[in-house]
Amino acid sequence: MDSSIKAAAVVLDSVSKSYGAVEILKNVSVTIAPGEVVTLLGPSGAGKSTLLRCINHLETIGAGRIYVHGKLIGYREVGDTLHELSDREISAQRRSIGMVFQSFNLFRHMTVLQNVMSGPTHVLRAPKAEAEALARDLLARVGLPDKADRYPSELSGGQQQRVAIARTLALAPSVMLFDEPTSALDPELSQEVILTIRSLAEQGYTMLIATHEMAIARDFADRVIFMVQGEVVEDVSARSFFTSPRHERSRQFVARHAG
Amino acid sequence: MTVVASCAMAGPRAVRVKHRLRWGAWLLSAIVLLVVSMLLGAAIRARIMNAEVFLAYLTSEQVLLGARNALILGTLALAVASVIGLVVALMRVSGNPILAGLSATYVYFFRGTPMLIQLLFWFNALPTMFQRVHLAVPFTDIVLLDAPTTAVVTPFVAALAGLGLAEGAYMAEIIRAGILAVDKGQRAAARAIGMTEAQVLRHIVIPQAARIIIPAGGNQYIMLLKSTSLASAIGFLELLRISTDIYSSNFMVIELLAVAAFWYLVMTAFATAIQTALEKTFPQR
Repeated sequence: MDSSIKAAAVVLDSVSKSYGAVEILKNVSVTIAPGEVVTLLGPSGAGKSTLLRCINHLETIGAGRIYVHGKLIGYREVGDTLHELSDREISAQRRSIGMVFQSFNLFRHMTVLQNVMSGPTHVLRAPKAEAEALARDLLARVGLPDKADRYPSELSGGQQQRVAIARTLALAPSVMLFDEPTSALDPELSQEVILTIRSLAEQGYTMLIATHEMAIARDFADRVIFMVQGEVVEDVSARSFFTSPRHERSRQFVARHAG
Repeated sequence: MTVVASCAMAGPRAVRVKHRLRWGAWLLSAIVLLVVSMLLGAAIRARIMNAEVFLAYLTSEQVLLGARNALILGTLALAVASVIGLVVALMRVSGNPILAGLSATYVYFFRGTPMLIQLLFWFNALPTMFQRVHLAVPFTDIVLLDAPTTAVVTPFVAALAGLGLAEGAYMAEIIRAGILAVDKGQRAAARAIGMTEAQVLRHIVIPQAARIIIPAGGNQYIMLLKSTSLASAIGFLELLRISTDIYSSNFMVIELLAVAAFWYLVMTAFATAIQTALEKTFPQR
Protein backbone atom coordinates (compact mmCIF):
# COMPACT_ATOMS: atom_id res chain seq x y z
CA MET A 1 0.00 0.00 0.00
CA ASP A 2 1.07 3.55 -0.73
CA SER A 3 2.78 5.01 2.34
CA SER A 4 0.93 8.30 1.93
CA ILE A 5 -2.36 6.44 2.38
CA LYS A 6 -1.06 4.86 5.58
CA ALA A 7 0.11 8.19 7.01
CA ALA A 8 -3.11 10.08 6.24
CA ALA A 9 -6.17 10.14 8.50
CA VAL A 10 -8.65 10.06 5.61
CA VAL A 11 -8.07 9.42 1.93
CA LEU A 12 -10.71 9.57 -0.78
CA ASP A 13 -9.25 8.18 -3.96
CA SER A 14 -11.30 8.97 -7.10
CA VAL A 15 -14.65 8.37 -5.37
CA SER A 16 -17.80 8.48 -7.47
CA LYS A 17 -21.39 7.86 -6.50
CA SER A 18 -24.72 8.17 -8.28
CA TYR A 19 -28.37 7.67 -7.45
CA GLY A 20 -29.76 6.25 -10.67
CA ALA A 21 -28.72 8.60 -13.43
CA VAL A 22 -27.85 11.47 -11.07
CA GLU A 23 -24.17 11.75 -10.22
CA ILE A 24 -23.76 12.89 -6.62
CA LEU A 25 -19.97 12.59 -6.36
CA LYS A 26 -17.74 12.89 -9.43
CA ASN A 27 -14.26 11.48 -9.09
CA VAL A 28 -13.54 13.08 -5.71
CA SER A 29 -10.01 12.81 -4.34
CA VAL A 30 -9.16 14.29 -0.96
CA THR A 31 -6.45 13.63 1.61
CA ILE A 32 -6.70 14.73 5.24
CA ALA A 33 -3.73 14.57 7.58
CA PRO A 34 -4.04 13.52 11.24
CA GLY A 35 -5.04 16.50 13.39
CA GLU A 36 -6.23 18.54 10.48
CA VAL A 37 -9.52 20.47 10.66
CA VAL A 38 -11.12 20.67 7.23
CA THR A 39 -14.38 22.39 6.33
CA LEU A 40 -16.48 21.28 3.43
CA LEU A 41 -18.25 24.24 1.85
CA GLY A 42 -20.56 24.54 -1.10
CA PRO A 43 -24.15 25.18 -2.08
CA SER A 44 -26.92 22.77 -1.06
CA GLY A 45 -26.90 19.69 -3.23
CA ALA A 46 -23.16 19.86 -3.81
CA GLY A 47 -22.69 16.37 -2.33
CA LYS A 48 -21.17 17.38 1.02
CA SER A 49 -23.43 15.18 3.15
CA THR A 50 -23.11 12.24 0.79
CA LEU A 51 -19.33 12.52 0.88
CA LEU A 52 -19.35 12.37 4.69
CA ARG A 53 -21.81 9.45 4.73
CA CYS A 54 -19.57 7.52 2.35
CA ILE A 55 -16.62 7.85 4.73
CA ASN A 56 -18.35 5.70 7.36
CA HIS A 57 -20.15 3.64 4.73
CA LEU A 58 -23.64 4.85 5.61
CA GLU A 59 -23.74 5.21 1.81
CA THR A 60 -22.15 2.81 -0.64
CA ILE A 61 -19.85 4.15 -3.34
CA GLY A 62 -19.93 3.49 -7.07
CA ALA A 63 -16.24 3.73 -7.77
CA GLY A 64 -12.95 4.57 -6.06
CA ARG A 65 -11.64 3.83 -2.59
CA ILE A 66 -11.90 5.40 0.85
CA TYR A 67 -9.27 4.84 3.54
CA VAL A 68 -9.37 5.87 7.18
CA HIS A 69 -5.99 5.54 8.88
CA GLY A 70 -4.84 3.23 6.11
CA LYS A 71 -7.84 0.90 6.33
CA LEU A 72 -10.03 0.47 3.25
CA ILE A 73 -13.58 1.35 4.33
CA GLY A 74 -16.60 -0.77 3.52
CA TYR A 75 -14.94 -3.14 1.08
CA ARG A 76 -12.32 -5.85 0.72
CA GLU A 77 -10.11 -5.67 -2.35
CA VAL A 78 -9.61 -9.01 -4.04
CA GLY A 79 -7.81 -8.83 -7.38
CA ASP A 80 -9.44 -5.96 -9.22
CA THR A 81 -12.78 -6.18 -7.41
CA LEU A 82 -14.11 -4.51 -4.26
CA HIS A 83 -16.35 -6.84 -2.22
CA GLU A 84 -18.61 -5.19 0.32
CA LEU A 85 -17.82 -6.19 3.92
CA SER A 86 -20.29 -7.89 6.24
CA ASP A 87 -22.57 -5.90 8.55
CA ARG A 88 -20.38 -6.92 11.50
CA GLU A 89 -17.13 -5.87 9.84
CA ILE A 90 -18.52 -2.50 8.72
CA SER A 91 -19.89 -1.87 12.22
CA ALA A 92 -16.42 -2.51 13.65
CA GLN A 93 -14.90 0.02 11.24
CA ARG A 94 -17.48 2.67 12.14
CA ARG A 95 -16.51 2.64 15.82
CA SER A 96 -13.40 4.71 15.12
CA ILE A 97 -15.24 7.17 12.86
CA GLY A 98 -17.44 9.59 14.80
CA MET A 99 -20.34 11.33 13.14
CA VAL A 100 -22.49 14.28 14.22
CA PHE A 101 -25.71 14.95 12.31
CA GLN A 102 -27.62 18.08 11.36
CA SER A 103 -30.72 16.92 13.23
CA PHE A 104 -28.77 15.62 16.29
CA ASN A 105 -30.45 12.19 16.10
CA LEU A 106 -30.34 11.50 19.83
CA PHE A 107 -32.07 8.30 20.92
CA ARG A 108 -35.32 9.73 22.22
CA HIS A 109 -36.18 6.88 24.57
CA MET A 110 -32.88 7.17 26.43
CA THR A 111 -31.75 9.78 28.95
CA VAL A 112 -28.83 12.03 28.06
CA LEU A 113 -26.53 9.81 30.13
CA GLN A 114 -27.80 6.62 28.43
CA ASN A 115 -27.30 8.25 25.04
CA VAL A 116 -23.66 9.00 25.80
CA MET A 117 -23.17 5.53 27.31
CA SER A 118 -24.83 3.74 24.37
CA GLY A 119 -21.64 3.30 22.35
CA PRO A 120 -19.42 2.00 25.15
CA THR A 121 -22.06 -0.30 26.66
CA HIS A 122 -23.78 -1.71 23.57
CA VAL A 123 -20.94 -1.61 21.06
CA LEU A 124 -17.74 -1.98 23.09
CA ARG A 125 -19.41 -3.93 25.91
CA ALA A 126 -17.58 -1.88 28.51
CA PRO A 127 -18.51 -2.35 32.19
CA LYS A 128 -21.44 -0.13 33.15
CA ALA A 129 -19.65 1.78 35.91
CA GLU A 130 -16.73 2.54 33.64
CA ALA A 131 -19.04 3.69 30.81
CA GLU A 132 -21.00 5.89 33.19
CA ALA A 133 -17.86 7.57 34.57
CA LEU A 134 -16.69 8.27 31.03
CA ALA A 135 -20.12 9.59 30.01
CA ARG A 136 -20.31 11.95 33.00
CA ASP A 137 -16.82 13.21 32.25
CA LEU A 138 -17.75 13.87 28.60
CA LEU A 139 -20.97 15.64 29.58
CA ALA A 140 -18.90 17.92 31.80
CA ARG A 141 -16.57 18.60 28.89
CA VAL A 142 -19.44 19.72 26.64
CA GLY A 143 -20.80 21.84 29.48
CA LEU A 144 -23.85 19.76 30.41
CA PRO A 145 -22.96 17.95 33.63
CA ASP A 146 -26.39 18.67 35.16
CA LYS A 147 -28.47 17.30 32.26
CA ALA A 148 -27.48 13.63 32.65
CA ASP A 149 -30.93 12.43 33.70
CA ARG A 150 -32.95 14.52 31.26
CA TYR A 151 -34.51 13.21 28.07
CA PRO A 152 -33.54 14.72 24.68
CA SER A 153 -37.01 16.31 24.26
CA GLU A 154 -36.35 18.39 27.39
CA LEU A 155 -33.19 19.98 25.93
CA SER A 156 -32.65 22.90 23.57
CA GLY A 157 -31.29 22.15 20.11
CA GLY A 158 -27.84 23.38 21.03
CA GLN A 159 -27.77 21.19 24.13
CA GLN A 160 -28.96 18.18 22.12
CA GLN A 161 -26.18 18.71 19.61
CA ARG A 162 -23.59 18.90 22.40
CA VAL A 163 -24.93 15.62 23.82
CA ALA A 164 -24.63 14.11 20.33
CA ILE A 165 -21.00 15.26 20.23
CA ALA A 166 -20.36 13.68 23.65
CA ARG A 167 -22.02 10.44 22.48
CA THR A 168 -19.64 10.36 19.52
CA LEU A 169 -16.58 11.15 21.65
CA ALA A 170 -17.40 8.26 23.99
CA LEU A 171 -16.01 5.83 21.42
CA ALA A 172 -12.71 7.79 21.20
CA PRO A 173 -12.95 8.14 17.42
CA SER A 174 -9.83 8.82 15.37
CA VAL A 175 -11.80 10.95 12.91
CA MET A 176 -14.84 13.15 13.50
CA LEU A 177 -17.33 13.90 10.73
CA PHE A 178 -19.78 16.78 11.19
CA ASP A 179 -22.76 16.97 8.81
CA GLU A 180 -23.96 20.60 9.04
CA PRO A 181 -23.90 20.54 12.84
CA THR A 182 -25.38 24.03 13.28
CA SER A 183 -27.82 24.26 10.37
CA ALA A 184 -30.84 23.39 12.53
CA LEU A 185 -29.95 25.96 15.20
CA ASP A 186 -30.55 29.67 15.65
CA PRO A 187 -27.43 31.89 15.79
CA GLU A 188 -27.21 31.93 19.57
CA LEU A 189 -27.45 28.14 19.96
CA SER A 190 -25.09 27.70 16.99
CA GLN A 191 -22.52 29.66 18.91
CA GLU A 192 -22.40 27.19 21.83
CA VAL A 193 -22.00 24.27 19.44
CA ILE A 194 -19.29 26.09 17.48
CA LEU A 195 -17.38 26.69 20.71
CA THR A 196 -17.59 22.98 21.54
CA ILE A 197 -16.32 22.03 18.08
CA ARG A 198 -13.58 24.60 18.39
CA SER A 199 -12.36 23.13 21.67
CA LEU A 200 -12.17 19.73 19.97
CA ALA A 201 -10.08 21.30 17.21
CA GLU A 202 -7.75 22.65 19.84
CA GLN A 203 -7.47 19.18 21.40
CA GLY A 204 -6.11 17.89 18.11
CA TYR A 205 -9.04 15.86 16.78
CA THR A 206 -9.03 15.18 13.05
CA MET A 207 -12.25 16.73 11.79
CA LEU A 208 -14.13 17.05 8.54
CA ILE A 209 -16.99 19.54 8.86
CA ALA A 210 -19.65 20.14 6.22
CA THR A 211 -21.15 23.50 7.08
CA HIS A 212 -22.74 26.75 5.97
CA GLU A 213 -21.24 28.45 9.02
CA MET A 214 -18.48 30.74 7.80
CA ALA A 215 -17.24 31.27 11.37
CA ILE A 216 -16.07 27.65 11.53
CA ALA A 217 -14.29 27.84 8.21
CA ARG A 218 -12.63 31.17 8.91
CA ASP A 219 -11.80 31.01 12.60
CA PHE A 220 -10.33 27.61 13.22
CA ALA A 221 -10.29 25.40 10.13
CA ASP A 222 -6.97 24.60 8.54
CA ARG A 223 -8.37 23.96 5.13
CA VAL A 224 -11.43 24.53 2.97
CA ILE A 225 -12.72 22.09 0.39
CA PHE A 226 -15.24 23.80 -1.85
CA MET A 227 -17.63 21.56 -3.75
CA VAL A 228 -20.10 22.28 -6.53
CA GLN A 229 -22.36 19.63 -8.08
CA GLY A 230 -20.38 16.68 -6.80
CA GLU A 231 -16.97 18.00 -7.73
CA VAL A 232 -14.18 19.44 -5.64
CA VAL A 233 -13.66 22.89 -7.12
CA GLU A 234 -11.10 24.16 -4.64
CA ASP A 235 -8.99 22.53 -1.92
CA VAL A 236 -6.85 25.20 -0.26
CA SER A 237 -5.91 26.66 3.11
CA ALA A 238 -8.77 28.46 4.83
CA ARG A 239 -6.92 31.76 4.67
CA SER A 240 -6.35 31.69 0.94
CA PHE A 241 -9.92 30.53 0.27
CA PHE A 242 -11.32 33.66 1.86
CA THR A 243 -8.65 36.14 0.71
CA SER A 244 -7.98 34.91 -2.81
CA PRO A 245 -10.51 32.37 -4.10
CA ARG A 246 -9.26 31.12 -7.43
CA HIS A 247 -12.40 29.95 -9.16
CA GLU A 248 -15.38 31.94 -10.32
CA ARG A 249 -17.82 29.82 -8.26
CA SER A 250 -15.79 30.16 -5.06
CA ARG A 251 -15.41 33.90 -5.60
CA GLN A 252 -19.20 34.24 -5.83
CA PHE A 253 -19.67 32.01 -2.79
CA VAL A 254 -17.21 33.99 -0.66
CA ALA A 255 -18.69 37.29 -1.79
CA ARG A 256 -22.20 36.15 -0.87
CA HIS A 257 -21.49 34.47 2.44
CA ALA A 258 -18.52 36.26 3.90
CA GLY A 259 -19.37 39.82 2.92
CA MET B 1 -52.68 60.19 22.10
CA THR B 2 -54.84 62.30 24.40
CA VAL B 3 -57.73 59.87 23.97
CA VAL B 4 -55.61 56.93 25.15
CA ALA B 5 -54.40 58.92 28.12
CA SER B 6 -57.91 59.87 29.22
CA CYS B 7 -59.05 56.21 28.98
CA ALA B 8 -56.16 55.06 31.14
CA MET B 9 -57.03 57.74 33.71
CA ALA B 10 -60.62 56.55 33.95
CA GLY B 11 -59.41 53.17 35.14
CA PRO B 12 -60.91 49.76 34.33
CA ARG B 13 -64.70 49.56 34.58
CA ALA B 14 -66.00 46.48 36.38
CA VAL B 15 -67.80 44.14 33.94
CA ARG B 16 -69.42 40.73 34.25
CA VAL B 17 -68.31 37.94 31.90
CA LYS B 18 -71.06 35.59 30.73
CA HIS B 19 -70.17 32.58 28.60
CA ARG B 20 -72.38 30.81 26.12
CA LEU B 21 -74.36 27.90 27.50
CA ARG B 22 -73.57 24.67 25.60
CA TRP B 23 -77.28 23.76 25.59
CA GLY B 24 -76.96 21.29 22.67
CA ALA B 25 -74.79 18.92 24.69
CA TRP B 26 -77.15 19.10 27.68
CA LEU B 27 -80.12 18.36 25.48
CA LEU B 28 -78.39 15.34 23.97
CA SER B 29 -77.48 14.08 27.46
CA ALA B 30 -81.09 14.24 28.50
CA ILE B 31 -82.26 12.34 25.40
CA VAL B 32 -79.66 9.58 25.87
CA LEU B 33 -80.54 9.15 29.56
CA LEU B 34 -84.22 8.94 28.67
CA VAL B 35 -83.68 6.25 26.00
CA VAL B 36 -81.43 4.18 28.27
CA SER B 37 -83.91 4.27 31.14
CA MET B 38 -86.76 3.28 28.81
CA LEU B 39 -84.76 0.26 27.59
CA LEU B 40 -83.86 -0.76 31.14
CA GLY B 41 -87.46 -0.35 32.21
CA ALA B 42 -88.70 -2.53 29.35
CA ALA B 43 -86.16 -5.24 30.22
CA ILE B 44 -87.16 -5.23 33.89
CA ARG B 45 -90.93 -5.21 33.19
CA ALA B 46 -90.56 -8.16 30.83
CA ARG B 47 -88.49 -10.04 33.46
CA ILE B 48 -86.08 -11.12 30.73
CA MET B 49 -83.66 -12.54 33.26
CA ASN B 50 -83.81 -14.53 36.45
CA ALA B 51 -81.10 -13.08 38.71
CA GLU B 52 -80.79 -16.25 40.78
CA VAL B 53 -80.11 -18.40 37.73
CA PHE B 54 -77.60 -15.84 36.50
CA LEU B 55 -75.70 -15.89 39.81
CA ALA B 56 -75.83 -19.67 40.07
CA TYR B 57 -74.23 -20.18 36.66
CA LEU B 58 -71.80 -17.26 37.01
CA THR B 59 -69.37 -19.31 39.08
CA SER B 60 -70.35 -22.80 37.98
CA GLU B 61 -67.48 -25.16 37.26
CA GLN B 62 -68.30 -25.51 33.55
CA VAL B 63 -68.53 -21.78 32.95
CA LEU B 64 -65.26 -21.14 34.78
CA LEU B 65 -63.59 -23.82 32.65
CA GLY B 66 -64.89 -22.13 29.51
CA ALA B 67 -63.67 -18.72 30.66
CA ARG B 68 -60.25 -20.18 31.50
CA ASN B 69 -60.01 -21.90 28.10
CA ALA B 70 -60.96 -18.68 26.32
CA LEU B 71 -58.35 -16.71 28.25
CA ILE B 72 -55.62 -19.27 27.55
CA LEU B 73 -56.50 -19.55 23.86
CA GLY B 74 -56.72 -15.77 23.37
CA THR B 75 -53.45 -15.12 25.20
CA LEU B 76 -51.48 -17.84 23.41
CA ALA B 77 -52.93 -16.70 20.07
CA LEU B 78 -51.72 -13.16 20.80
CA ALA B 79 -48.23 -14.53 21.54
CA VAL B 80 -48.22 -16.51 18.28
CA ALA B 81 -49.57 -13.47 16.39
CA SER B 82 -46.91 -11.17 17.85
CA VAL B 83 -44.07 -13.45 16.75
CA ILE B 84 -45.57 -13.91 13.28
CA GLY B 85 -46.32 -10.18 13.09
CA LEU B 86 -42.73 -9.21 13.96
CA VAL B 87 -41.27 -11.56 11.35
CA VAL B 88 -43.74 -10.50 8.66
CA ALA B 89 -43.23 -6.79 9.45
CA LEU B 90 -39.44 -7.17 9.24
CA MET B 91 -39.84 -8.98 5.91
CA ARG B 92 -41.95 -6.09 4.66
CA VAL B 93 -39.38 -3.43 5.55
CA SER B 94 -36.35 -5.57 4.57
CA GLY B 95 -36.02 -3.95 1.15
CA ASN B 96 -35.93 -7.38 -0.52
CA PRO B 97 -38.68 -7.47 -3.17
CA ILE B 98 -39.49 -11.17 -2.72
CA LEU B 99 -39.68 -11.00 1.09
CA ALA B 100 -41.74 -7.79 0.91
CA GLY B 101 -44.06 -9.34 -1.67
CA LEU B 102 -44.57 -12.51 0.37
CA SER B 103 -45.28 -10.42 3.43
CA ALA B 104 -47.83 -8.26 1.63
CA THR B 105 -49.54 -11.36 0.21
CA TYR B 106 -49.73 -12.95 3.64
CA VAL B 107 -51.33 -9.85 5.11
CA TYR B 108 -53.78 -9.62 2.20
CA PHE B 109 -54.95 -13.23 2.53
CA PHE B 110 -55.17 -13.51 6.29
CA ARG B 111 -56.69 -10.09 6.83
CA GLY B 112 -58.98 -10.48 3.85
CA THR B 113 -60.79 -13.69 4.81
CA PRO B 114 -63.15 -14.17 7.78
CA MET B 115 -61.50 -15.68 10.84
CA LEU B 116 -64.28 -18.26 11.05
CA ILE B 117 -63.44 -19.60 7.58
CA GLN B 118 -59.77 -19.81 8.55
CA LEU B 119 -60.53 -21.75 11.73
CA LEU B 120 -62.73 -24.24 9.88
CA PHE B 121 -60.11 -24.48 7.15
CA TRP B 122 -57.21 -25.43 9.44
CA PHE B 123 -59.34 -27.86 11.40
CA ASN B 124 -60.34 -29.71 8.20
CA ALA B 125 -57.42 -29.13 5.85
CA LEU B 126 -54.45 -30.08 8.02
CA PRO B 127 -55.48 -33.70 8.65
CA THR B 128 -56.24 -34.08 4.92
CA MET B 129 -52.92 -32.61 3.82
CA PHE B 130 -50.83 -34.67 6.24
CA GLN B 131 -52.02 -38.12 7.29
CA ARG B 132 -49.48 -38.61 10.08
CA VAL B 133 -47.31 -36.26 12.10
CA HIS B 134 -43.79 -37.64 12.36
CA LEU B 135 -41.19 -35.64 14.28
CA ALA B 136 -37.74 -37.17 14.68
CA VAL B 137 -34.26 -35.90 15.53
CA PRO B 138 -32.27 -36.08 12.28
CA PHE B 139 -29.50 -38.73 12.03
CA THR B 140 -30.69 -40.57 15.14
CA ASP B 141 -33.38 -43.09 15.94
CA ILE B 142 -35.05 -40.76 18.42
CA VAL B 143 -38.67 -40.15 17.52
CA LEU B 144 -40.27 -37.23 19.31
CA LEU B 145 -43.79 -37.65 18.00
CA ASP B 146 -45.56 -40.04 15.73
CA ALA B 147 -49.33 -39.91 15.58
CA PRO B 148 -52.20 -39.53 13.15
CA THR B 149 -52.75 -35.84 12.38
CA THR B 150 -56.34 -35.92 13.56
CA ALA B 151 -55.03 -36.73 17.05
CA VAL B 152 -52.56 -33.82 16.99
CA VAL B 153 -54.80 -31.19 15.42
CA THR B 154 -57.29 -30.97 18.25
CA PRO B 155 -59.87 -28.19 18.22
CA PHE B 156 -57.52 -26.26 20.50
CA VAL B 157 -54.52 -26.58 18.13
CA ALA B 158 -56.63 -25.68 15.10
CA ALA B 159 -58.14 -22.69 16.91
CA LEU B 160 -54.70 -21.51 18.05
CA ALA B 161 -53.31 -21.81 14.52
CA GLY B 162 -56.33 -20.11 12.98
CA LEU B 163 -56.53 -17.20 15.42
CA GLY B 164 -52.73 -16.79 15.58
CA LEU B 165 -52.29 -16.73 11.80
CA ALA B 166 -55.21 -14.37 11.19
CA GLU B 167 -54.23 -12.04 14.01
CA GLY B 168 -50.59 -12.20 12.86
CA ALA B 169 -51.59 -10.28 9.74
CA TYR B 170 -53.03 -7.44 11.84
CA MET B 171 -50.06 -7.45 14.20
CA ALA B 172 -47.70 -7.29 11.19
CA GLU B 173 -49.31 -4.04 10.07
CA ILE B 174 -49.26 -2.60 13.59
CA ILE B 175 -45.60 -3.53 14.13
CA ARG B 176 -44.66 -2.20 10.69
CA ALA B 177 -46.27 1.14 11.52
CA GLY B 178 -44.32 1.18 14.79
CA ILE B 179 -41.02 0.45 13.07
CA LEU B 180 -41.61 3.11 10.41
CA ALA B 181 -42.36 5.69 13.10
CA VAL B 182 -38.77 5.55 14.40
CA ASP B 183 -36.98 8.18 12.33
CA LYS B 184 -34.21 7.23 9.93
CA GLY B 185 -31.84 9.69 11.58
CA GLN B 186 -31.73 7.72 14.81
CA ARG B 187 -31.02 4.54 12.90
CA ALA B 188 -28.20 6.26 11.00
CA ALA B 189 -26.79 7.57 14.29
CA ALA B 190 -26.91 4.09 15.83
CA ARG B 191 -25.13 2.57 12.86
CA ALA B 192 -22.59 5.43 12.95
CA ILE B 193 -21.59 4.50 16.51
CA GLY B 194 -20.96 0.97 15.31
CA MET B 195 -24.14 -0.93 16.13
CA THR B 196 -24.91 -3.90 13.90
CA GLU B 197 -28.33 -4.04 12.21
CA ALA B 198 -29.54 -6.45 14.89
CA GLN B 199 -28.36 -4.11 17.68
CA VAL B 200 -30.05 -1.12 16.04
CA LEU B 201 -33.27 -3.11 15.99
CA ARG B 202 -32.97 -4.28 19.58
CA HIS B 203 -31.70 -1.14 21.30
CA ILE B 204 -33.14 1.68 19.18
CA VAL B 205 -36.05 0.62 16.96
CA ILE B 206 -38.02 -1.89 19.03
CA PRO B 207 -38.08 0.06 22.35
CA GLN B 208 -39.47 3.08 20.50
CA ALA B 209 -41.77 1.13 18.22
CA ALA B 210 -43.21 -0.52 21.36
CA ARG B 211 -44.73 2.83 22.39
CA ILE B 212 -46.81 2.81 19.24
CA ILE B 213 -47.46 -0.94 19.15
CA ILE B 214 -48.72 -1.32 22.75
CA PRO B 215 -52.00 0.67 22.58
CA ALA B 216 -52.96 -0.93 19.26
CA GLY B 217 -51.77 -4.34 20.49
CA GLY B 218 -53.95 -4.03 23.59
CA ASN B 219 -56.91 -3.37 21.35
CA GLN B 220 -56.08 -6.49 19.31
CA TYR B 221 -55.78 -8.57 22.51
CA ILE B 222 -59.32 -7.58 23.50
CA MET B 223 -60.60 -8.42 20.01
CA LEU B 224 -58.83 -11.75 20.13
CA LEU B 225 -60.23 -12.70 23.56
CA LYS B 226 -63.70 -12.17 22.15
CA SER B 227 -62.84 -13.93 18.88
CA THR B 228 -62.10 -17.12 20.81
CA SER B 229 -65.89 -17.55 20.71
CA LEU B 230 -65.43 -18.47 17.01
CA ALA B 231 -63.66 -21.65 18.16
CA SER B 232 -67.08 -22.92 19.30
CA ALA B 233 -67.67 -23.72 15.61
CA ILE B 234 -64.98 -26.40 15.66
CA GLY B 235 -66.01 -27.82 19.01
CA PHE B 236 -63.52 -26.19 21.32
CA LEU B 237 -64.97 -25.91 24.81
CA GLU B 238 -64.69 -22.18 25.30
CA LEU B 239 -67.02 -19.81 27.10
CA LEU B 240 -69.68 -19.31 24.41
CA ARG B 241 -69.80 -23.00 23.44
CA ILE B 242 -70.33 -24.06 27.04
CA SER B 243 -73.00 -21.39 27.60
CA THR B 244 -74.94 -22.38 24.47
CA ASP B 245 -74.66 -26.07 25.41
CA ILE B 246 -76.18 -25.30 28.79
CA TYR B 247 -79.04 -23.13 27.53
CA SER B 248 -79.95 -25.58 24.78
CA SER B 249 -80.86 -28.02 27.54
CA ASN B 250 -82.44 -25.68 30.11
CA PHE B 251 -83.64 -22.79 27.85
CA MET B 252 -82.21 -20.11 30.17
CA VAL B 253 -80.90 -18.29 27.10
CA ILE B 254 -80.64 -14.72 28.40
CA GLU B 255 -79.16 -15.75 31.75
CA LEU B 256 -76.37 -17.79 30.14
CA LEU B 257 -75.61 -15.16 27.51
CA ALA B 258 -75.33 -12.64 30.35
CA VAL B 259 -72.99 -14.99 32.23
CA ALA B 260 -70.76 -15.32 29.15
CA ALA B 261 -70.84 -11.57 28.55
CA PHE B 262 -69.86 -10.96 32.17
CA TRP B 263 -66.70 -13.08 31.85
CA TYR B 264 -65.76 -11.48 28.52
CA LEU B 265 -65.99 -8.12 30.29
CA VAL B 266 -63.73 -9.41 33.08
CA MET B 267 -61.20 -10.59 30.49
CA THR B 268 -61.35 -7.22 28.76
CA ALA B 269 -60.68 -5.45 32.05
CA PHE B 270 -57.68 -7.75 32.56
CA ALA B 271 -56.33 -6.94 29.08
CA THR B 272 -56.86 -3.21 29.63
CA ALA B 273 -54.97 -3.37 32.93
CA ILE B 274 -52.00 -5.06 31.22
CA GLN B 275 -52.05 -2.47 28.45
CA THR B 276 -52.11 0.43 30.92
CA ALA B 277 -49.21 -1.07 32.88
CA LEU B 278 -47.14 -1.56 29.70
CA GLU B 279 -47.86 1.98 28.53
CA LYS B 280 -46.43 3.23 31.82
CA THR B 281 -43.34 1.05 31.35
CA PHE B 282 -42.73 2.49 27.88
CA PRO B 283 -43.80 6.13 28.19
CA GLN B 284 -43.89 8.43 25.19
CA ARG B 285 -40.86 10.76 25.13
